[in-house]
Amino acid sequence: MSEKTFEGALDDLEAGTAAGSAEPARGGEAGDADAHPAVRALRERFGEAILAHTVMAGDEHVVHVRADRNVEILQFLRDDPAQRFDYLADVTAVDFGGDRPIEVVYQLWSIENRRALRVKAALRVDALEIDSVAALWKTANWLERETWDMFGIRFRGHPDHRRILMPEGYAEGFPLRKDFPLRGRFSRAEQTRRALSMTVEEHYSAEELAIVEEVKRDTSPADSGEGRPAS
Amino acid sequence: MGVSLPTVPRGEAGFFTTKLDLAVNWARQNSLWPMPFGTACCAIEMMASAASKFDLSRFGMERMSFSPRQADLLICAGRVSYKMAPVLRRIWDQMMQPKWAISMGACASSGGVFDVYSMVQGIDTIIPVDVYIPGCPPRPEGLIYGILMVHEKIKGESLADPSLREENPERVGRPNLPDGVIDEIAKPFGNSTTQNRVSGLVRTTALARPGDRNP
Repeated sequence: MSEKTFEGALDDLEAGTAAGSAEPARGGEAGDADAHPAVRALRERFGEAILAHTVMAGDEHVVHVRADRNVEILQFLRDDPAQRFDYLADVTAVDFGGDRPIEVVYQLWSIENRRALRVKAALRVDALEIDSVAALWKTANWLERETWDMFGIRFRGHPDHRRILMPEGYAEGFPLRKDFPLRGRFSRAEQTRRALSMTVEEHYSAEELAIVEEVKRDTSPADSGEGRPAS
Repeated sequence: MGVSLPTVPRGEAGFFTTKLDLAVNWARQNSLWPMPFGTACCAIEMMASAASKFDLSRFGMERMSFSPRQADLLICAGRVSYKMAPVLRRIWDQMMQPKWAISMGACASSGGVFDVYSMVQGIDTIIPVDVYIPGCPPRPEGLIYGILMVHEKIKGESLADPSLREENPERVGRPNLPDGVIDEIAKPFGNSTTQNRVSGLVRTTALARPGDRNP
């Protein structure tokens, strides 16, 4: 990398031909497993499912795991009395461009032990599916929806697998992918027409709309008298 | 205060003569109820404008009308995403005539720095706009100046010209501009360089209202 020009590196990025393109890009230095108690425990318990351990920016420990075992590994990190990563700070993804795998990133924090850990699982671009962890942390529900919305990664077993930021009928793809054009795929006129042809109610699930109906019913003038049912 | 009102002799009805347009426009311009559509930092400046230091109520805008049906002036303060576009359009369609619109700030007027997949490139693609206020965000003085420009515009209107207040039911919920114009103004920096044409300062087919046309 140090020998290459900036433009050359950019070209490689676009063509997906940078060194080890079929492999996930692992920045940082190889980590010392003893430096982080969770990493040692993971290595002992899951063996070859722990693919690599690197350290970024001095003290940010990153564990690369096999994508098909993400749930059991994350459940261990959450429940093991010595780990207790009870706070899932973020679920997101990284697209490195080209044909290189897209990484799903779980950023964990243990409130009890005041320790952070980043867990990454690489997915091939032609098989963007991973098991949902929404059953482990409720916050993963919306975070995984955002990751689906922006990167197009499917979360198997997700209870409410919808887009969250873009409108439900959005047909231009997944905006944070490297191959997504900045201004979108359609013309501005087409985007405007599509936007205005949406009805606002389409943004919400049936459950969310039911809440609105309930509030309307409870606050309608006809219902403000004695006939109101006790809740 | 040294101001003396004309006196009316006891027992006689006082009257004065004026032009109907003048009286109606005077009433309209001094009782504009704003419909705040605040989506970003411009809304903070809009709130400051309404608060005691700048005090929009000096201009007859005592009451922010959070119901579009009782509002006369839509103030779109902030960026509007495509997901928000049908909401803005519906609120505009719900407002009753006479109504005016202010596009406050760079993002509402042209998309601003958000020349991206998710952002409306100027709300004039969605609704007709009377006054654009530049700034990022504009100071309250800027907003007040824009409101005073709306006042000037109201002063120049005539009840004899019904086209000013005409609404085409077929346009409800539709884009405000033809496709070609939207594409043109949404080119990089497009809305900032071609906005005159859209706002009706020069002759164009893309006018919000026929009355905006220059003589």
